[in-house]
Amino acid sequence: MTGLSVRGLTKVFRTKSGSVHALRGIDMRVEPGEFCVLLGSSGSGKTTLLRCVAGLEKPDSGEIRLGDRIVFSDNPKTFVSAEDRGFGMVFQSYAIWPHMTVFENVALPLLHGKRKLLRQEVRGRVAHALRLVQLEGLQDRPAPQLSGGQQQRVALARALAVNAQALLMDEPLSNLDARLRESVRYEIRELAKKLNSTVLYVTHDQVEAMALADRILLIGEGRLLQSGRPHELYEKPIDPAVAEFLGTMNWLSGKIRERGFVQTELGLLRVHGAEKVGSELLLGIRPEDIRLKPVPSGEINEFRGEIVDNTYLGDHRLCKLKTPGKTMVAKLVGTDMGYGTVHFQVPEERIVVFHPNHKGKEESK
Amino acid sequence: MIGPAVGNDTTRPFTGRLKIDARLLLASVGWLPVVLVAGLVVVVVWLSFQVITPGQSANFGWRAYRELYGDPFVYQTLLNTGWFALLSVAVALFFGVVAAWLVERTDLPYKNVLFTLMTTGVLVQGFITAMGWVFLLHPRIGLMNKAIASIHGMEWATVDIATPMGMGVIQGLALAPLAFMMVAATFRSLDPALEEAAAVHGMGLISTLLRVTLPLAFPGILAAGIYISTIGIAAFDVPAIIGLPNRVFMFSTFLYFRVQPEFGAPRYDLAGAFSTLMIFLSLLLSWLYIQVVRYSHRYAVVTGRAYQPKPVELGRTAWLAWVFLGFYLLLGQILPTLVLLWNSLLPYFQPISWSSLDIISFSNYHNLPWSHLLESARNTGILMVSVASLTLAFSVAISWTVTRSDLAGRFVLDAGAFLPHAIPHVILAVGANYVALFLVGKALPIYGTIYILLALYVLAWMSFGTRVLNSAILQVHKELEEVGKVSGIPLLTCLRKILVPLIAPAMVNAWLWMALLSYRELTMASLLVTPHNLTFPVFIWSLWMEGSITRAAAASVLGLACMIPLVALYWVFGRRASGSDTAI
Ligand SMILES: Nc1ncnc2c1ncn2[C@@H]1O[C@H](COP(=O)(O)OP(=O)(O)OP(=O)(O)O)[C@@H](O)[C@H]1O
Ligand SMILES: [Mg+2]
Repeated sequence: MTGLSVRGLTKVFRTKSGSVHALRGIDMRVEPGEFCVLLGSSGSGKTTLLRCVAGLEKPDSGEIRLGDRIVFSDNPKTFVSAEDRGFGMVFQSYAIWPHMTVFENVALPLLHGKRKLLRQEVRGRVAHALRLVQLEGLQDRPAPQLSGGQQQRVALARALAVNAQALLMDEPLSNLDARLRESVRYEIRELAKKLNSTVLYVTHDQVEAMALADRILLIGEGRLLQSGRPHELYEKPIDPAVAEFLGTMNWLSGKIRERGFVQTELGLLRVHGAEKVGSELLLGIRPEDIRLKPVPSGEINEFRGEIVDNTYLGDHRLCKLKTPGKTMVAKLVGTDMGYGTVHFQVPEERIVVFHPNHKGKEESK
Repeated sequence: MIGPAVGNDTTRPFTGRLKIDARLLLASVGWLPVVLVAGLVVVVVWLSFQVITPGQSANFGWRAYRELYGDPFVYQTLLNTGWFALLSVAVALFFGVVAAWLVERTDLPYKNVLFTLMTTGVLVQGFITAMGWVFLLHPRIGLMNKAIASIHGMEWATVDIATPMGMGVIQGLALAPLAFMMVAATFRSLDPALEEAAAVHGMGLISTLLRVTLPLAFPGILAAGIYISTIGIAAFDVPAIIGLPNRVFMFSTFLYFRVQPEFGAPRYDLAGAFSTLMIFLSLLLSWLYIQVVRYSHRYAVVTGRAYQPKPVELGRTAWLAWVFLGFYLLLGQILPTLVLLWNSLLPYFQPISWSSLDIISFSNYHNLPWSHLLESARNTGILMVSVASLTLAFSVAISWTVTRSDLAGRFVLDAGAFLPHAIPHVILAVGANYVALFLVGKALPIYGTIYILLALYVLAWMSFGTRVLNSAILQVHKELEEVGKVSGIPLLTCLRKILVPLIAPAMVNAWLWMALLSYRELTMASLLVTPHNLTFPVFIWSLWMEGSITRAAAASVLGLACMIPLVALYWVFGRRASGSDTAI
């Protein structure tokens, strides 16, 4: 398996209505055998990046390496075309060739691709790929007669069968229904790990990203915002935008009163690492970190609020807590606390601190 | 790794053969016909500045223009062409729009019969209809005129068809099916919700029609009108059959006469000067057409599913609709065909009477110059197959380059491929005639062979082929080819294995249609034919011009009979034509 690295990649689309800066200097690596997920909101440039890596789009500047091989570079000018790069790719639309059977779909790249196999080898290879995605027996089914999930598997089998240097996938699960998505997601990861494949996977769904990734590459507006293992991004986002993207945050803005204590909309809050007295901070607290209590326990960072909204979501509830300065969202697992006055605690160690140079999204409330 | 690691296939080096970029290869193939068409246009314009004095080498100057615009005959021709085009647009739209509305927006019974008749009507050769009408309305001997004149006191009501307006009406009847197809496509793409909203809010049928449907369809109808005018100003068939023998000239027959004069030397300079004027006019019309089409798309609904709007109920007025349509079919198709059939059985042209029943025979058929006929039929057959195939191949190259590649200049290529749509074919034929005779004649002796016709037809139908393929390729999801590319399949294999099979229905359709267009083509052939490369339409036409009109009728009947299986073939395999793509 081969690793992948991208340096200073930029791409501008020039259209009649102006230019779109889709990528503004992306640096990233995917180690051999690593499952990397490109995560970002709609229009952030994920597909563009993936297509540049695949060779379907020509970047404006930067460099792309596949292992040791430079497949794109602006200086000296190098552009290896897509058919010579040797990736396997799964598209959002699956791109199953509708005029062929399942077998033919998987076999075509093996018969006519740059890495041609002998005819007798093809049969075995296709059968093996189909077995991996559990489609044995459907070989001769015409492609249009497959269900969405089966088409998805054929696309995967086709990408696997070429023994690609690395697999590229662009939102391969977004056309499946929620339940199927979860099981196929699991299978894809299993398979990738079993085959020790290098994978670059695009999604805008943070749950999917966390479930799949060895490492998440979060991009926004054509820039890499942060990369790291899922829990690192979730717990230690370096940027309010990252934090916000990975899940709901309660935002508090405050000023350090004295070492370790910050004056916020909730009141005085004890915060780790609040050193410089007088400076401003942005604090984030995840809903599941807020501990609700029917009676005060006298711990530090405890406040009083009123539950004004209480939404049942099966395995948990979302409660809106109204306090004089701020309305917070808390996730409650376990017994319902109804409406009315409650006490809640914000554990000091769970507060995410952003320093003022990170001007991020602040919840307007 | 999947399966037994077969060789070290991930690192197998790429074959060291000289690598030609397949994209560039395709693009060059695509550019070839476009450059040739542009070249023909340049040649025609260049011809207009030639000053040829016998015994001297050619000079350049404005002489042709001065001569042309000082000539009252030219003004007469322009005026004729104007009236002719105007009448043909009016008549074509009158029948075409009503028929399209009936088919697309009402519950007219047997509407698919009408649809079939109208679509195949596009293919009926204009010169066949024209011959039929000469038999019916010839100033002196036409059957209808005789009948009218035989009624005492009605002599004034006889119709002279050999006038620009008379010919315009005939041409309009021949173009009505085309207007029908284009306008039907417009009606089909209109959002039915707009009409339904009007109905829900209490507007009646007529006021909905006048205030909602027609205004919405207006840009589409206007576009069809402009498009038909571009055909009208350069139409050849009807003026050649009716006008030439009676010395009533149009633009197209003027060109024919200057390039193939009965006596004297050809005047390419005059033909070029007149053509240059018409090129400007045609480009202007095409530009207008593109603007209007762009504008009309604003109202189009782009829903994937076919949403069946509730049709207007004709109720008991349905028979009226069929009377109207029957009237059109009678005038446009049935009467001319019947009268041709009748005359093909007569030894000489004569009115219908009981006595003529005694002399009907197949002698016209026997007496056809069969060796010429068979030779021309063979040529036409070869042309149909080779022109359709070659044009299709070029069109794939052009359309792929335009829609799929990121090569610079692809929009220019697209515009160039549209050129034969805009420039009248008769002008291209003038250019081709000169080029073949005087420019490449020595090196490439193609004048008087079917290769010159082959080349010219390919250039002429290229615009049709690319319009059909552009839209067909755009309907194929780009990722279907991209996934092939990423998995290492070379471009040409991707085209062969993925794209072409997916657009095969459109290709079959375009192939058949272009074969049929080649079958009926008279305009370009008339300017390039010699006794050695006779085509079937020219064969019929030359019989007509030499005065063997009943034998010409017999040959036409044979031609129509041959067309039936061809059209049936088209009907079975190729019926996907979207009206607005159809070119003549
Ligand atoms: N071919 C193109 N021409 C012009 N602009 C483009 C083109 N492709 C993408 N863009 C623009 O580039 C930006 C990034 O697009 P991209 O498709 O990479 O986003 P994405 O992150 O994949 O979004 P999504 O999650 O919606 O798929 C967008 O603003 C988009 O409009
Ligand atoms: Mg995308």
